[in-house]
Amino acid sequence: MAEKLYIDALREGLREEMQRDQSVFLLGEDIGIYGGAFGVTRGLIDEFGEERVVDTPISEQAITGIAVGAAVAGMRPVVEIMFFDFLTLSMDQLINQGAKIRYMFGGKAKVPMVIRAPMGCGTGAAAQHSQSFPGVFAHFPGLKVVIPSTPHDVKGLIKAAIRDDNPVVFAEHKLLYRVKGEVPEEDYVLPLGKADIKRKGRDITIVAGSIMVIRALEAAKELEKEGIDVEVIDPRTLKPLDMRTIIDSVKKTGRVLIVEDDPLSFGWGAEVAAGIAGSEAFDYLDAPVKRLGGLDIPIPYNPNLERHAVPQVENIVEAVRELLR
Amino acid sequence: MAEIVRMPKLGLTMTEGTIIKWLKKEGEEVKQGEPLLEIQTDKVNLEEEAPASGILRKILTPEGSVVAVGQEIAIIGGESEPLPEIGKQTGAEVEEVEVEPELPAPAPQPGEKVKASPAAKRVAREYGVDLRLVTPTGPDGRVVEKDVLEYVESRKVKATPVARKIAEEKGVDLSQIGKPEGERITKQDVLEALKSASLEPQEEYRVIPWAGMRKIISDKMAKVKAEVPHFYLTLEVDMGKVLELREKLAPKIQELNGVKLSINDILIKAAARALAEYPMVNSSAGEEGIVVKNRINIGLAVALENGLIVPVVKDADKKGLAQISKETAELIKKAREGRLLPDDYCGGTFTISNLGMYDIEEFSAIINAPESAILAVGKIAKKPVVVEDEIVVRPMMKLTLSCDHRVIDGALGAKFLRRIKQLLEDPIEMLL
Repeated sequence: MAEKLYIDALREGLREEMQRDQSVFLLGEDIGIYGGAFGVTRGLIDEFGEERVVDTPISEQAITGIAVGAAVAGMRPVVEIMFFDFLTLSMDQLINQGAKIRYMFGGKAKVPMVIRAPMGCGTGAAAQHSQSFPGVFAHFPGLKVVIPSTPHDVKGLIKAAIRDDNPVVFAEHKLLYRVKGEVPEEDYVLPLGKADIKRKGRDITIVAGSIMVIRALEAAKELEKEGIDVEVIDPRTLKPLDMRTIIDSVKKTGRVLIVEDDPLSFGWGAEVAAGIAGSEAFDYLDAPVKRLGGLDIPIPYNPNLERHAVPQVENIVEAVRELLR
Repeated sequence: MAEIVRMPKLGLTMTEGTIIKWLKKEGEEVKQGEPLLEIQTDKVNLEEEAPASGILRKILTPEGSVVAVGQEIAIIGGESEPLPEIGKQTGAEVEEVEVEPELPAPAPQPGEKVKASPAAKRVAREYGVDLRLVTPTGPDGRVVEKDVLEYVESRKVKATPVARKIAEEKGVDLSQIGKPEGERITKQDVLEALKSASLEPQEEYRVIPWAGMRKIISDKMAKVKAEVPHFYLTLEVDMGKVLELREKLAPKIQELNGVKLSINDILIKAAARALAEYPMVNSSAGEEGIVVKNRINIGLAVALENGLIVPVVKDADKKGLAQISKETAELIKKAREGRLLPDDYCGGTFTISNLGMYDIEEFSAIINAPESAILAVGKIAKKPVVVEDEIVVRPMMKLTLSCDHRVIDGALGAKFLRRIKQLLEDPIEMLL
């Protein structure tokens, strides 16, 4: 198995789906010749041409609306929004149109579209270009939400998202683009709604998504030196959310820490926590459910402050120690 | 749908029952209404019918276990139907290799809340551990799962596997083998214990656990004797005429219904008559006042192998001796066979207990609450008595009436008892 960058694995997934299915096309700002703000679509215009890799004007609402229309008309559009932050501009088209159409037409119309966007802080991009809020979209019926954490997952999941007949929000953490990992050569698709146990352990369960999976795994390595055996569960998709895998893990370990990159207040971690408390895992809890997430502040530009705005490895290590005290 | 069979409530006072015998095996087919198991309640043995047809998928409580009313005892369902999850049995005895010695409780306060994690609570439930006895090591004094498990472990008797095996085979109680703390019991220890045990002639005592009828009697008697203010009245009755009457009537009644007329039947009749005349004796001390009962239902204490039961002759005042004798004979037979139904022993308003057949001259009985009085009957013995200034030999019998003083005063009890005496000494009047 070859080691690949997350960004390359993602591009490979896009390419394979475009090769496989003529109805798949990309649209977004500067995704053609420029190859996208982060370079995800680099080179695809050469292979598939301007008709299937469409540069658009700067209007997220228009881009999203076009995608919804194209999807209803039988295409499988994949939108790139330059920064996840700008998804706020797509909200009406995505939530009031895209998420509702299949239901309102009694299933006779489908909306097979993907809307991808780079999210998260850590790049010094300040408050309007640094947010992570995929949890917001998980709130709306009719949408699916994917938060892949590894090169392997991002490829398998982008393919699943493209093949899904519903609008899928696909959140890529910017810091993950440069993360390397093993990616199988063969064609594979990962199911939406299936969590992955990223590390097996018996003392505590960490439920982490996106970039936090990487940090949780690093924390687990630290904690291993102290004899603490951490299990890391990556839900991979927030919607559908695979509570089963999480509950089974908590039943085994009796302790759980939930780590998200979204702001902690009203974040998806609360949904997971409530799911655990309301399940049979309740009787196996040996400590209160603990959560880590972004502070309740806009992401600061100052790099020192920015770093403290979201959970880092040391915060995870400390939280685990506290839970096992 | 799988049907969960629960311990039925077969009488007002029934709180638990003993599983005597399962009449079907796991995996066997049962039809609705077919006898499924035998249950012993505090009063009787009964066959319980299957509430549904299907396969007896699971027996949850083994024979011999004492089970609370309403607790799940079995599941009937389709052949491959998934079974519902049933909560951990609390009533049933769980077989355990490890023996847990009596806990030296550091006097926990009743109602004291213990801070414990859900997992700790679950494990405590599983092992039957009182969380108040566990030393908490979690943050803020919280008992965590590990604390409970360590507590359970600390209470276990440590023994080598071989020692355990031998102990099990030979029936040696490992908890009785003294061993310094932390040291494991070895094969040698068990063999020595076995040797010294065989030298000892016998155990000093055995304990029969409180269960079933014994438990009910024990609880009820202690409660009644402690709570009901008893007083006792005794008098002697000349039973000459009753014996004459019985001699005359017995063959006729025998012919009529094949039953032998007994003194008890005549006592029931006399008591019923007296109760009709003194309705205050036919009463109960209720919460708000004296409950005076309109029906006269007379119970007769019947001794059983390991307890007693009081079947009831209903409306005894309205029945003739032939009817009473037939009913008592049937009730006594059913009682001895453990076949009484709740209706046979419920609703009594007065009780008669006769120990005359054991040569008892007189005794004071404990009232069969909620009734207000009980009549204790001694043996009929020929005695020299003074009749019209002459000493004659008469068949005499002592009656002792125990009364609840909350309801019955001395004079009332005395008048009532004297009335029974009059009726017995002139039984013709009873037949009026």
